[in-house]
Amino acid sequence: MARLQLKNVVKSYGIYEAVRGINLEIEDNEFVVFVGPSGCGKSTTLRMIAGLEHITAGEIVIGDQIVNRLGPGKRDIAMVFQNYALYPHMSVRENISFCLEQQKISKEEIQRRIVTAAETLHIGELLDRRPGQLSGGQRQRVAMGRAIVRNPKVFLFDEPLSNLDAKLRVQMRTEIKRLHQLLPTTTVYVTHDQVEAMTMADRVVVMNGGVIEQVGPPQELYHRPVSQFVAGFIGSPAMNFMPATLVSGGKGLLVQLEDGSSLPVPVARIELYERHVGKTVTFGIRPESISDRQERPGFAEIQAKIDLVEPLGPETMVYFAVGDRGLCACIDPESNPKPKSTMPLSFNMNQMHLFDPTTGRSLAMG
Amino acid sequence: MNVPKHTSSALPVGERLGFVAFVAVSILFAIFFLMPIIWSFANSLKPAAEALANPAALFSKAFSFENYRRLENVGAGWYVYAGNSILIAFGTIVLTVLVSVPAGYGFAKFRFPGQSLIFVVVMATMMIPFQSILTPLFLILKILRLQNNLFGLVLIYVTFQLPFSIFMMRNAFDAVPRALIEAARIDGASQWTILRRIMLPIALPGVATVAMFAFLNSWNEFLAALIFLSDQNKFTLPIMLVNVSSGIYGIIDWGALQAGVTVTMVPCIILFLLLQRYYVRGLTAGAVK
Ligand SMILES: Nc1ncnc2c1ncn2[C@@H]1O[C@H](COP(=O)(O)OP(=O)(O)OP(=O)(O)O)[C@@H](O)[C@H]1O
Ligand SMILES: [Mg+2]
Repeated sequence: MARLQLKNVVKSYGIYEAVRGINLEIEDNEFVVFVGPSGCGKSTTLRMIAGLEHITAGEIVIGDQIVNRLGPGKRDIAMVFQNYALYPHMSVRENISFCLEQQKISKEEIQRRIVTAAETLHIGELLDRRPGQLSGGQRQRVAMGRAIVRNPKVFLFDEPLSNLDAKLRVQMRTEIKRLHQLLPTTTVYVTHDQVEAMTMADRVVVMNGGVIEQVGPPQELYHRPVSQFVAGFIGSPAMNFMPATLVSGGKGLLVQLEDGSSLPVPVARIELYERHVGKTVTFGIRPESISDRQERPGFAEIQAKIDLVEPLGPETMVYFAVGDRGLCACIDPESNPKPKSTMPLSFNMNQMHLFDPTTGRSLAMG
Repeated sequence: MNVPKHTSSALPVGERLGFVAFVAVSILFAIFFLMPIIWSFANSLKPAAEALANPAALFSKAFSFENYRRLENVGAGWYVYAGNSILIAFGTIVLTVLVSVPAGYGFAKFRFPGQSLIFVVVMATMMIPFQSILTPLFLILKILRLQNNLFGLVLIYVTFQLPFSIFMMRNAFDAVPRALIEAARIDGASQWTILRRIMLPIALPGVATVAMFAFLNSWNEFLAALIFLSDQNKFTLPIMLVNVSSGIYGIIDWGALQAGVTVTMVPCIILFLLLQRYYVRGLTAGAVK
């Protein structure tokens, strides 16, 4: 139960900067998920919070204590590792009680806490087994049990679900979230799976190349990405991007695509984009913002030649091309188009995005 | 639904023949290696005359402990030599483990300047044949006044045991996943607790292997023991065996020799069987990541 602050935290390995100045304040009991592509420095950041890596520059504060010089055992944190890191020669009970023994807690208290943790995680009947005799999901629970018995200030998770199969992963995901509601604790959770990030987080931190791209609640990242990177990373299937030019035409602005078709910018957005008229931009639109429904205000229609159809059940994905760009759209499963046929698709321009093609910044930002 | 059952009779004929051949060959090899041991044991339980007349027979009607009794008259008596051998083996095991465990831990888990050079130098000493440095060793022990001294011999054995043992322990500690140590650090364990409660138990097969080799090599060693010990009361079992075989007037007392061999062998076999499980795992530890 504590706030966690990262102030300008840097980590270099020799001349290589893995983490290049991170500023972040995590509120008490907040569930924050770090997400980003492989090698972007998520684990490094987490390990610095844990005290497993030295901090090259900056400051980490847990509660109101600067922990830069504290060893991992003194920071009052608990960590769940990707491969669980259970002690193979100890029983589940000993694994869970090990950290309590180090804190010189009385036998009765240890016993009491083990029982509570085992009940919470439904591992009561596994207490006398060795980790080698457990399934992946059970090991995962034991690893979490080891973390919760300590009642730490901060929980750290480093891709805890990536060794599980898809079904179990979804199940454990909800379970971790439920656990957090049951035992509210400041939590930092690292994953490279954006679905995990979106579903679990109070706030998501998107990292790229050792810096934070954007921090915000999942919905904000989804609707108002500050950069093309975040826009492409959050959401599945990924946002469509096309090179385009912003031109003024008639009463308003038009996004002119490579193949010559132009899409009108909704009136509400004109003021936002006005100062970029004449520039080359990257036009972005999510597959779910393209539909085959009737034209409505702010919708722009094009004739699309369908390449491929993927029915998923609740929706159908269609792939088509504009110019030489492949695009994807999520349409009503009832419409059932044939491949190689042509159908009208309308872009919901109220949900369009424009990015600077050189910096990747969103043009909607100041 | 009809599920085909896989029983041994369902195996293809070729495969079954192959299996039978494999078992037969294995048994043959086992007999090949076991026979000398069995013969020694059998002959040690025959009267001297019978052993000499009929050494190949496994069983004889005349069963006796005569050979073992006669061993008592060899030099100071076999139990004195056995005692010496036990002292030396025990000392070698303890010292070797005491040095190689921390050394292996250091090489495996810490980074320090000159690390790889030091490690290579330690390993390189394995290449020096023991016989080639007998004279300098003898002189050193003489200067240290440890010549003709059991502890001096233990030091020699430990010296020759260490490179392999350090290598073994480094591999054993290397094979302990880093995440386990990190988990223990987060759990608040001290360096010492980590070594004692996490690393050592996991590296135990390595320790067993090191102890096993220290025992076998010091127990069976002959040349150094012969050269560095001159007092008859300090001899070890292997030297006693030579004394038995070249007994009085150069006649080989076949029965007593076999009794001596049996006495020497039994502890090795017992220890090997006891530690077998660990020992095999220890040799392959760290081989596969
Ligand atoms: N000990 C080290 N020495 C040198 N470079 C390192 C070291 N550890 C990590 N790095 C580098 O730091 C960068 C960030 O690594 P990090 O493990 O934090 O990535 P990550 O975001 O967790 O990626 P993943 O999703 O693959 O786990 C990587 O480019 C990596 O190569
Ligand atoms: Mg990582």
